[in-house]
Amino acid sequence: MDTSIRDIDKKKFKKYAFRYSKERGETAARIRIPGGHIEYENLERIAKIAEKYGNGTIHVSLRQGVEVPGIPLEKMEDVKAELQPIIDSMNINQDNPGEGYSASGTRNVMACIGKRVCPFGCYDTTALAQRIEKAIFPHDLHVKVAMTGCSNDCAKVRMHDFGIIGMTEPQYNKGRCVNCGACVKWCQKRSVGALEVVNGKIKRDPKKCVGCGVCVAYCPTRAWSRSKEHYFRLTLLGRTGKKNPRLAEDYMKWVDEDSIVKIIKNSYDYCEKYISPEAPDRKEHIGYIVDRTGFEEFEKYILRDVELGEKVEKNPRLYWGGKHYDRW
Amino acid sequence: MSKNEYLPFSSKLQDLIKHNDAEWTFRFTYVGPCKPGQFFMVSVPKVGESPISVSGIGEDYVDLTIRKVGKVTDWLFENMKPGDGLFLRGPYGNGFDPEMFADGELIIVAGGSAVSPIRGVVQYLCTLPDASDKHVITGFKNPDEILFRDDLKVWKDHVDLTVTVDGAPEGYEGNIGMVTKYIPLLEVKDIKKCKAIVVGPPPMIKFSIIELVKRGFDEENVWISDSRRMCCGMGKCGHCRINSKYVCIDGPVFKFTEHRALID
Amino acid sequence: MGYRMDRTEWKAVFDELGKTYRLFAPVRKIGEGRFTDVDVIRYDFVEDPDEIVWDERSDYSFKDSLIPLSETMFFFTEDQVKEASIDERPVIVFLRPCDLNAVKRLDQMYMDNGPDNDWFYERRRNKISFALMGCDRACENSFCVDMGANKSDEYAFSIDMEGDGFVSDVKDEKFVKAFADHAGSEQAVEPHYITESEYHVERPEDVPLSIFNDEMWDEYTRRCINCGRCNFVCPTCTCFTTQDVFYTDNGRVGERRRVNASCMVDGYTDVAGGLQFRKTNGERMRFKVLHKVYDFRKRFGYDMCVGCGRCDSVCPEYISFANCINKLNRRVEELEAEK
Repeated sequence: MDTSIRDIDKKKFKKYAFRYSKERGETAARIRIPGGHIEYENLERIAKIAEKYGNGTIHVSLRQGVEVPGIPLEKMEDVKAELQPIIDSMNINQDNPGEGYSASGTRNVMACIGKRVCPFGCYDTTALAQRIEKAIFPHDLHVKVAMTGCSNDCAKVRMHDFGIIGMTEPQYNKGRCVNCGACVKWCQKRSVGALEVVNGKIKRDPKKCVGCGVCVAYCPTRAWSRSKEHYFRLTLLGRTGKKNPRLAEDYMKWVDEDSIVKIIKNSYDYCEKYISPEAPDRKEHIGYIVDRTGFEEFEKYILRDVELGEKVEKNPRLYWGGKHYDRW
Repeated sequence: MSKNEYLPFSSKLQDLIKHNDAEWTFRFTYVGPCKPGQFFMVSVPKVGESPISVSGIGEDYVDLTIRKVGKVTDWLFENMKPGDGLFLRGPYGNGFDPEMFADGELIIVAGGSAVSPIRGVVQYLCTLPDASDKHVITGFKNPDEILFRDDLKVWKDHVDLTVTVDGAPEGYEGNIGMVTKYIPLLEVKDIKKCKAIVVGPPPMIKFSIIELVKRGFDEENVWISDSRRMCCGMGKCGHCRINSKYVCIDGPVFKFTEHRALID
Repeated sequence: MGYRMDRTEWKAVFDELGKTYRLFAPVRKIGEGRFTDVDVIRYDFVEDPDEIVWDERSDYSFKDSLIPLSETMFFFTEDQVKEASIDERPVIVFLRPCDLNAVKRLDQMYMDNGPDNDWFYERRRNKISFALMGCDRACENSFCVDMGANKSDEYAFSIDMEGDGFVSDVKDEKFVKAFADHAGSEQAVEPHYITESEYHVERPEDVPLSIFNDEMWDEYTRRCINCGRCNFVCPTCTCFTTQDVFYTDNGRVGERRRVNASCMVDGYTDVAGGLQFRKTNGERMRFKVLHKVYDFRKRFGYDMCVGCGRCDSVCPEYISFANCINKLNRRVEELEAEK
């Protein structure tokens, strides 16, 4: 047996997405699945790794990746070789081919199933998750991004640094409306009640409307249809954790996809500059950094080169709440 | 192009008879053919239209007895005074041919505002030399809701008239009880040949006919008047259809045996 | 008269027709479907023949051309009632055999039910000529063949794709010139039609009275969500509701309009005072189904439904109208056997 394995750079293998296990001599391989969408061939490859090197089980992680536990540390290099076709076929950015995932700080980008399947999905969540993954990975900074197809927020994006919620701006073709009442009823029942009947036609309260598209889905005549543009609500700096878990706050409404990608990318420069030198393993939630520098400084960075559309409603000042377990 | 039948004609309110707070008879100027049991669409621009049964027909007027129950009728009650103009369409529907009932015995059972469609029939019967074999039962919820009190006084001199109320305060001297209570009490000579007109709310029609049949009545001799939602009054909008019949053009008067096969 | 045209010649004919007529045809509305980035095919006026969708059935029928979803009837000023005007130019409607058969049903209701014509329908009808688009394959959920609506010769001219070009049979004299001037050659043309639909249906000749309260409808009380999509896509549904409105900024001016109505949607039978007929969705389904394949026939001698299959394709609850007809037929057979 190769006893050199007893002297191993733990910080390095953790960076490459192998977990430090409580079982001495063992690790778990963490596999990214951006947007939670994966071809069956790759699932088969993962299953093979579990069978060959792990303990035969696969853990479906909370961030839509999977972990293959029970891998002996000395098999790590073999596993990296078997991960390579998965990384290649999923088109995951990689610094050095053959070394496995190049980072683990920036977490798997999450998404609900979105418009590919869900009738209420306002955009292709999988595609956007993959686009953002391409834009920000690999990186050691601890950043969490999640997106959801509509205002239902099945992906619980408000618990992430960047939460992306799909929106559509309902377009009303008055001439096709027969005042059947379906949109008013379902907006009331399934959404926020932003519609009312005025003179036999529908009036939408744009202030109240969350752009969920329920009116479009229930309209039997195509009087309501979706806007050509896909819009988003961007929520900022939610988090879980020990000190001050909190839900994200709304930052922008009716923002476009390109701006969101830029904003998230820009946030890395801000973090590089302001992250606490004391942070263990350079792991500090952005929110805590912003708590120190103030939101204005953060905003200066993230809005660099961002040209917001006319429709965007931006929240000028964000206040977060949440539990403060660190203050007694 | 044919004439636009949706275009209402203008009319004038000649007179207003207030039976109680919620039931008034509006006398509108109208000259033209009209039969009892037919209906007009009362057309209030910007408010809507409402089908109203004809309750009286004169040389230059029609009476429409209206119950205040919705948007259009509320407007009429709140805004119309004699001399005012208004729009009408119609008359629509088949209506009754009163002459059909001139010969032989007849029972008319009418509940509440459904007295409207048979008022013209009874008025016709009252012109006959002898209408003593015509039995008329009118039922109302309470003494306040009794309609056409002046008519009833005239009618009782010509036909065998029973006026009843479902309930009344203590001391009321008239008949109390449902119309069905009075059907068995009528003195009918030849029940097999007797004809009947039953108009009113659907349950009243149903139970009245049960009473008639109990007495040996031939169902073929019963006519009823039905009502449904109507938008056009001329067989286009579809709202009043029951099976293959349109209440607005095939009715509202139906032979009971024909209507029985119509199921909502 | 039959003509053969290549694409350019057909475009020339089309443009020629467009000088006099407004051309109403099925078009693809990008992204206007019910779901994100899903299209809808519905009717609209077209200026280019390439806008016309040939390979799919339209989700909504041609009937907007005769009974718009929402149509102003009258404008009211303080003391005047004025009929709303419409575009006076004549129209050519491009439609499939099922829909051309549906025109007969619409005419039946609006022009031949009761003593009066529907003036608003008639004024549009008088301006319309029909161009038949032949069928080369059965549409999803269609049962037009069994309903006898898979072909029609009630067209002004037909138009079919054949090879790289088009063929037309022109019946209405007033269109002959446009074709004769631009078409490449003359030939005998028969419009295309299919002889096998996707579904087969069997309709009962007569139904017993007991079918009206039969438990076969209960399933739909549970399954149907009374959204009315089936009615709004139907080429033969004719019901409408009138609405009066006054403009909020000036209460003295307003309009009366009529909008398509659905016998499945709440409120259809409501009368002032609160009375309501057919409360359950099962009862409404029975009302609709029997109208389409029985009641209408009893009144006019032929069935209303043309078997286009749109109602099946649009139903969000996967209720199949075609299958309901077959269920009805089986149930009627059972009831007769019990007798």
